[in-house]
Formats: sequence, C-alpha cells, structure tokens
Amino acid sequence: MRKKFLVQVILVSVVAAVALTGCKSPFWKKKSGAAAGAETGVPPLGAGGETGIGERPMVSSAGALQHGQFAPVLFDYDSARIRPSEVSKLEAVAAYLKSNPGKLVIEGYCDERGTAEYNRALGERRALAARDELVKLGIDASRISTISYGKDRPVDPGHDEAAWAKNRRCEFVVVNQ
Amino acid sequence: MKIGRLAYILQFVMVSVLISSSAATASAQVEVVKGRRSFGVSGFAGDAAIAGQVTDVLKNDLRLSGYFALGPVSSAEFVQTGTVRGDRANLTVECMVMQQATKKVVLSKAYQGSAQDLRRVVHRLSDDIVQTIAGQRGIAQTKIAFVWARNGVKELAVMDYDGHNPRQLTYDRSISVRPRWSPDGRKIVYTSYKNVFPDVLEVDLYTGQRRRLATFPGLNSGAVFSPDGSTIALTLSKDGNPELYTMGADGGDLRRLTHTRGGESSPTWSPDGQTIAYVSDDSGAPQIWMVGRDGGAPSRLTVSPSYNTEPDWSRPPSGSDMKPMLALTSRVNGRFQIGVYDRSSGAVQPVVADDADNEDPSWAPDARHLVFMKSQRWRAQLYLLDVVTGEQVQLPAVEGGASEPAWGP
Repeated sequence: MRKKFLVQVILVSVVAAVALTGCKSPFWKKKSGAAAGAETGVPPLGAGGETGIGERPMVSSAGALQHGQFAPVLFDYDSARIRPSEVSKLEAVAAYLKSNPGKLVIEGYCDERGTAEYNRALGERRALAARDELVKLGIDASRISTISYGKDRPVDPGHDEAAWAKNRRCEFVVVNQ
Repeated sequence: MKIGRLAYILQFVMVSVLISSSAATASAQVEVVKGRRSFGVSGFAGDAAIAGQVTDVLKNDLRLSGYFALGPVSSAEFVQTGTVRGDRANLTVECMVMQQATKKVVLSKAYQGSAQDLRRVVHRLSDDIVQTIAGQRGIAQTKIAFVWARNGVKELAVMDYDGHNPRQLTYDRSISVRPRWSPDGRKIVYTSYKNVFPDVLEVDLYTGQRRRLATFPGLNSGAVFSPDGSTIALTLSKDGNPELYTMGADGGDLRRLTHTRGGESSPTWSPDGQTIAYVSDDSGAPQIWMVGRDGGAPSRLTVSPSYNTEPDWSRPPSGSDMKPMLALTSRVNGRFQIGVYDRSSGAVQPVVADDADNEDPSWAPDARHLVFMKSQRWRAQLYLLDVVTGEQVQLPAVEGGASEPAWGP
C-alpha cells in the first residue's frame, strides 16, 4: 500500500529558470557583446623585456615579412636535423647577415601529416636548428628570432610526397629596423 | 511564472526555484547501470512545431548520452510524456518520465524559456533524465571550443556539445589555435599569431576581454589550466629548445619543468593536479612522458606504437567510481588513430581506428565521451565518441574545416 502511495508522490518538481543573471553570462547568452577584437591594455608578461634568446623585431603583420630572398632549408620527415646538403643555403644567409644590418626571422614549417601541437614544437625545433647553425657560422644569436607555424601555411597545397618535401622547411626573412 | 495555470496538474508539485547553471536535482535515483536502458519518447502535446523540435532535440540528447536505447513506447522500460505550453516568448516545457513496470514516476519537472533557447531548455531536461535514471552527470549543457578554418585563416569558435550554435570567438584573420578551458568554464587560453609570433592569450568569455599570458621569444603554445585553475602548464622555447613550464594563472611565477635535447609539447594535467603528461621526442619518435608539477625526473609512459601525441587526461566527476583515462593520438601504418593508454599494462588500446586520420581527442566532463578531429581526404570535421559503446557520431559539419577541439567543463 505504502509503495503504491509513494509511486503517486512526485518527488520534486522544479521550475527551472533558464535565464541566468546578466553579470554571469558568457558572451553567447548576451544580446550584444561578441569578443571581436577587444583586447585590453594588460601589459605582456614581464613588461618591457621578456628574457630569452633572440629579441623579437617589430613586425606589424605576417604580411610584412618578405619571403623568397633566400632558398628554404628542407628537412626529412619528422626530423629537425640540418641535412649536409642544406648547409650551403645557411652559409648564404650568414654571408648576407655579416655584410648587412638588420635582424633575421626564421620560420619553421612542417608537412600536413602529424598532429597539430606536436608539429608546432617540431617546426620550432627546425627553426632553432637553423639558428644554431647560423650561430656556428658566426652570427650573433640576438639578431635571430624564430616563428613556428607547425603545419599551417604550406608553400605547396598538394597532398603527396613532392608537396610534403617542399613544406618541411625553414624560411628566412630579413627585417631592417 | 504562470504557476496558477500549472497547478491543476496533479502530478506536478510545484517548487519554484531559481537554479543557476549547475543545478543539483533532488530526484529519485535509480540504480547506476552500465548498460543502455530502453527508453520510449512519446513526445510533447501542445504547439506542434515547437513540440516537434523539443522531441527531436531530446531524442538526440538521450541517444548521445549513451545511457539509453530509444525504442517503441510499448516495450520501453522508461516512457516519457510531456506538454509544451505558452507562446514563443514564454514557454514552459513539462516532462514526466515513468518506469512502466512499476508505474513509478522517476522524473516530473517543468522548464521555462523561450523558443529562442529551446535547445538549451531541452538540454537541461536531458541532463536531468540522465542524472535520474543513470545516476551520472550529463553532458547536454556543455560546450566545445574548436579551431574553425575557412578563407585561409583560423579562428576560435565555441559551439554546443551537439555541434549546434557555432559562434566565432576571434576575428583576427590570423591563426588562432589550441584552445583550452579554465575549470570554471569562464576563460579559454589559446595560441594566437595575431601579433605575428605565436603567443599564449587568454579570453574571458563573459566580458570578451583578452590578455597576453606568454609572449616570450620563440614558441609560446600548448597552455592548459591545472584542475584547480591556479596554474597553467605550457611549452616555451625561450631558453633555446621547446620545453615545459608552469606559470601562475595570473602570469607570474614561471618555472621550468623539463631539460632535454628533444621537444616537449601538449601538456595535460592529471586529475589530482600532481603530475603533467606531455609529448617528448627526446628518445627519437614522439612518446608520452610524465613529470611532477614541480618538476623532477620525468618518466616515460608509452613505448608503442612508435608515435604517440596529444595526450588528454579524463576527469571523472566527483563521487564517481570511474578511473581517469589518458586519451592520445597514435600513428599506426601511416594513419592517425585515437587510443587510450592503459596504465597497468602500459599498452595503448585503440578506440578510433579506421581509414581516416583521427586526431586531437578531448574528454567530456562525464569522462565517457571524447570529441576528436577526423580528417578524410584532407577535410577535417569533428566527431564524438562514446568510449563505453564505441559509437562515433559526426557533429554537423561547419563550413571550411574544424580541428583541435576542447570540451568545456
């Protein structure tokens, strides 16, 4: 009997007020207020000079970096080792830097195979390997900074070994400032 | 609230409570079960268009939860009935769930909202049904952040867990990648190339404000919050090689954790916050390693297959008896597949292995579902996996491509 009675008893019924209070609402629950472009003036970490090798040159946008002055250094799959065949390309970069002012940005890239974040580290290791080679050739490390694009921005959009071989690369951009 | 209008329904004992996002429902908790329970959705009376929509969303939610086998009402263990009342601006969705054999009403509840946020209203209902019958935390109200690639740029976006309502977060026309949520769901940290170099930024989802967390020379990437939200682990190359570091969530107290010749990336915190699993190729090919949150000697976790990356620790809900699992991406025979690392045997069990490339797993807060990227003929879209049933579901495709998903808390 008791069981039957309990069956009829509704435990709890809650009117769920779905609308949350304004100040706790993520942007998508507000009528306006997309995050578009808003960046507040919180200074970067260690304002006025982060430590590390290779101070960043002032570059307004990635489009301001002029590619093509030097031949890209190419890499084996999943490797950041400078192949002996590529050293002469680095010697050309070093020769230019010895007789010209300016800073150098080395961009490290990977082919599209492999996971995204791992390739960001791999692209950085390629750029750093090229930098280390230039330092051996007598270039001051403080003139060189690195950007890893991972598998973004391939130079060849193809999906075969010929394209991949071109995309596993470092590019060199001189920034005069 | 039209309480007077509802009160005549005998089954409804109205308790008018304002509940915020994490509602603890006092309801009959039926036994916790691993298998799927048969469930019949009989739909909702009222405005046919709205009722139809509510029914569709509810069915999809219950199916995705993994706890129910939807079938005919006549033979189902549980049966749902309900009514939709009011107009589009002021809707009330009433729902009752009964266990047929015992005639026991296990859930009876009314939800208010508008036609605009109908999906959200039904997601609440679905989570209540999952909690009541399966005794588990549902995921229907959660969000997934992801990288939306189109028109040659990558922007961050956030969508509902079922792939609906995708919203762009950034409009930088640059590369914005690798989002990770704060434990309270309020912030996302990610890697941005908007200032040319890869930096770690943080966006506050409530205010839309951003701040720069790490802008060191070289690579700043892979940032991820500790389970308590106090600390961020990330990859920096400022000291000459990609290494793991931690910093306070406020940007201070930088500490270096690893010292290797290889590259370290993709940190993920263990659920207790004491250790960090990550990728290192110091031994040659990339494998998963683990280090204490304060550093010390790292230990290697995976040995085979020969390529393991992108680890993600699950975080079982508190009070659950589930064991934390480490999901990862392996390369096997030139294909990428999702696996789960088995700590006792040291082996990697494949959970998504097919003729596509499957990458970047991220656990749902129920520690049962994963979202991941599946790439077929170089087109990337997002899928959900229920690791208990092994079922994969493709989320509604977005224009362009979607990758690097992160399931929110």
